[in-house]
Amino acid sequence: MSVAETLTAAKPHSGRAISFLVFAIAIALIAASPFLPNYYVRVINSLLIYILLGIGLNIVIGYTGLLDLGFVAFYAVGAYSYALLASPQLDLHWPFLAILPVAACLGAATGILLGIPVLRLRGDYLAIVTLGFGEIIRIIINNLDWLTGGPKGIARLDKASILGIQVARPIDFFWLLLITVLVAGVLVWRLERSILGKAWAAIREDQDAARGIGINTTNAKLAAFATSATIGSIAGAIFAASQRFVSPESFTLQESVLIVLMIVIGGIGNILGIVAGAAILMLLPEVLREFAEWRILFLGLLMIFLIIVRPAGIVPRSFGPDKLIRRLFGK
Amino acid sequence: MTLVFDKLRKQYGQVVAIDDVTTSFAPGLIHGLIGPNGAGKSTLINMTAGSYSVSSGSIALDGKRLDTLKKYQIANSRVARTYQNIRLFDQMTVLENLEVCFYPADVGGTWKEVVWPPYASARREKRREKCMDILRFFDLQGYAETDAGSLPYGRQRMLEIARALVCEPRVLLLDEPAAGLNHHETAELTARLAAQRVPDRITIVVEHDMDLVMKLCDNIIVMHHGKLLFQGTPAEVQASPDVQLAYLGTANDIDEIRAAAQDRRAQLGIRARRRS
Ligand SMILES: Nc1ncnc2c1ncn2[C@@H]1O[C@H](COP(=O)(O)OP(=O)(O)OP(=O)(O)O)[C@@H](O)[C@H]1O
Ligand SMILES: [Mg+2]
Repeated sequence: MSVAETLTAAKPHSGRAISFLVFAIAIALIAASPFLPNYYVRVINSLLIYILLGIGLNIVIGYTGLLDLGFVAFYAVGAYSYALLASPQLDLHWPFLAILPVAACLGAATGILLGIPVLRLRGDYLAIVTLGFGEIIRIIINNLDWLTGGPKGIARLDKASILGIQVARPIDFFWLLLITVLVAGVLVWRLERSILGKAWAAIREDQDAARGIGINTTNAKLAAFATSATIGSIAGAIFAASQRFVSPESFTLQESVLIVLMIVIGGIGNILGIVAGAAILMLLPEVLREFAEWRILFLGLLMIFLIIVRPAGIVPRSFGPDKLIRRLFGK
Repeated sequence: MTLVFDKLRKQYGQVVAIDDVTTSFAPGLIHGLIGPNGAGKSTLINMTAGSYSVSSGSIALDGKRLDTLKKYQIANSRVARTYQNIRLFDQMTVLENLEVCFYPADVGGTWKEVVWPPYASARREKRREKCMDILRFFDLQGYAETDAGSLPYGRQRMLEIARALVCEPRVLLLDEPAAGLNHHETAELTARLAAQRVPDRITIVVEHDMDLVMKLCDNIIVMHHGKLLFQGTPAEVQASPDVQLAYLGTANDIDEIRAAAQDRRAQLGIRARRRS
């Protein structure tokens, strides 16, 4: 056994038990979903949407190391794509599967639009500019009454149907979201492990040294912004279809911050961490429903606690999906 | 194939760091670039690699201008470098630090890597084979899965050189590769660099360790105040009174130059230890 292996092979037994437990709970939850009351299915659906958003934003924040606080803009682009193309607003009634690629392309284009002016920025400056970008998109939506309905939003969106199957009940959206999250999760994870993913990591670690080994950082960063925005936009389209109503209120800075928190608490740069972070931030308020006034306080205390005991997040970067699979099924 | 500097100049405001330097570097040789602190050695390396812009004059490789290209384009012309202060991708593994160097060659296949796992494994396997070869050459194979940032200082230096070599550069620029290394490590480094003296590569080594420079280099360029002071074989440099004057004011033998180099190495050793 090499030095490296000895160092990384810490406590395999307790780790394995925890992995199995979490894995079993996840499977049980998925299996039980069709039998849960609608209320709980809705909670799980919103959890899945946040996981999807987290997977998207993590590309920019976790992999490439760029603090983007305007992610909610892409979510809004996707949601309004569905709202405008499938509602009485413009009297357009496109099928869901036709809107999805449009939303994805618009999302990618918006991502590049945001990416170009912030290419030179890093850290705090980048955070402030992207935050402004998110607000600009929201304010535009708020003021473009003739198109977006302004603060009133757009109501009576069409019921979605996919290949003739209606997707209307919470449980339908559960399956749609579960599949989307799994597909997006696998693709993004493979992207992280691809050569582009390695380049993102290099940019995160030392942008100038990354240029020094031949990485066109402009292209690599724009690719990160575009893929991230595409996923955000797809999440938005599904969100709009499930709510059948959109308004600017759903796309405030608070949402962006929530997604960033999920990533940071869960484990930055790790898809498994996002699942953990989303679960905590989404389910905690439900569990603490009776103590509604205290929720924010609990959340604050939890965050302080986690930052002290697990500064790298609940699931650190080094414990990725490949490690989990190996631990569950490998030797 | 040669690397040519033509009336190359670099000014920081009023400070002239490089003062109209004209010279050329032949392939297949290891060129030593020496001179007192502040002579402009790092500036020359940084301009060649595209880290700094050129104030006037030109740099050309094979007749193709380098100074008009962006840094990543220069790297893609197979010019590789190390830094005076080590710059690795700390939170990536040793293997990933090398693997990522294949980005320019492999980025076109990214989407195929994402959707077609067999293609991805084949590409990765191919990249990793080359990386493991160079890791073995630097005796780092046991660290492949360790984060680069947690390597001991001497190994980090080796890894940085390995990263510069993994894509077989035409121009290899090393800025003080032996800084902070102990005697044993310096000897190993000297042997490894000597083994990398291949016919179609121009290697330029900036170094204060005169032992290493005299043993390793075929051609030595001495800089002083941004100008070329002397150029010749190790024996010629040792015999040159100009060089001794530049280094030590009134020194009269190479032993004193060595002593000065030793002092500096000790200094850097302390700095290195503080860093880690
Ligand atoms: N970024 C900079 N801004 C202003 N002046 C600089 C900068 N970099 C270097 N200089 C100046 O240019 C001159 C040459 O510096 P350079 O780093 O090239 O020297 P060097 O030969 O590498 O020295 P050392 O052996 O100490 O590394 C010095 O006078 C230095 O102060
Ligand atoms: Mg220097």
